[in-house]
Amino acid sequence: MDRIEEDWLDARLRDETPYLDDAGFTAAVVERLPRKSASTTFRALVLLLVTLLGSAIAYVVSGGGRFIVDAIARVGSLPLFSVYLIALCCGILVTTAAGAVAVSKARQQS
Amino acid sequence: MELTDAELVARILLDDDHHAFAELVRRHQSTVRGLLRQLTRTDVSLADDLAQETFLRAYKNIRSFRGEARFSTWLYRIAYNCFREDARRRKELVGIDEAQWQAEHDPQTANPALRHDLMQALQLLPLHERAAVLLCCQNGLSHEEAARVLEIPLGTVKTNVLRGREKLKRALAAWQSN
Repeated sequence: MDRIEEDWLDARLRDETPYLDDAGFTAAVVERLPRKSASTTFRALVLLLVTLLGSAIAYVVSGGGRFIVDAIARVGSLPLFSVYLIALCCGILVTTAAGAVAVSKARQQS
Repeated sequence: MELTDAELVARILLDDDHHAFAELVRRHQSTVRGLLRQLTRTDVSLADDLAQETFLRAYKNIRSFRGEARFSTWLYRIAYNCFREDARRRKELVGIDEAQWQAEHDPQTANPALRHDLMQALQLLPLHERAAVLLCCQNGLSHEEAARVLEIPLGTVKTNVLRGREKLKRALAAWQSN
């Protein structure tokens, strides 16, 4: 009997509560939100331009990217063991950096 | 396909997406405003101001939403904190107004309409019972979730819900027998 009464009460509490029409409430809240900072976009743009400029300077100074060809030739002439070692070191470096970023992000989320 | 609350939160975190936040506000505004109206004893203007403050705080602290509880539960907690802070400022929690309000409102003089009687009966409950009943019975939170929202022990929530329900049942006894 008590269970039936409780159900009746719960149902009345839910059903007798009217849905409140938005009536501009959401717009008023969004209006008061802090503006998106333009600095994020601006910073990304500056970073991109600096990278492009740096790359262009490096290309010109290095005599049309000659150093890349030289470097590949030098790596090609190395013993196979050294190439494997360099690849392993690069792998460890990248994995460590990625792990550090992942841990940092996870801490921010928690 | 409609995005879940968690997906909308992810969009806000990733891209500060105002549209995603607006969607969350649209989804939850009715329940949050309804809860605050009941807590503020149908002071519509104050309730809506507190609801706006609730959503603004939610936006500013969105990174602290860990997804362990439902988004609505997290919102109710912010809403209740907003209400409590405001009530503290207005000295409502002292209890003087509570007793005075109850003395001024005789349940026997309530309007015969069920909704009116129910709302009237709810308003007569003390704040701690009203909040617990609204969260658990009206908004479907578990006792554990309500305890987190109200920041009180689980046993206290259960007691408050039980007492609040008993009082409501007594106040609405005539309707139940119909």
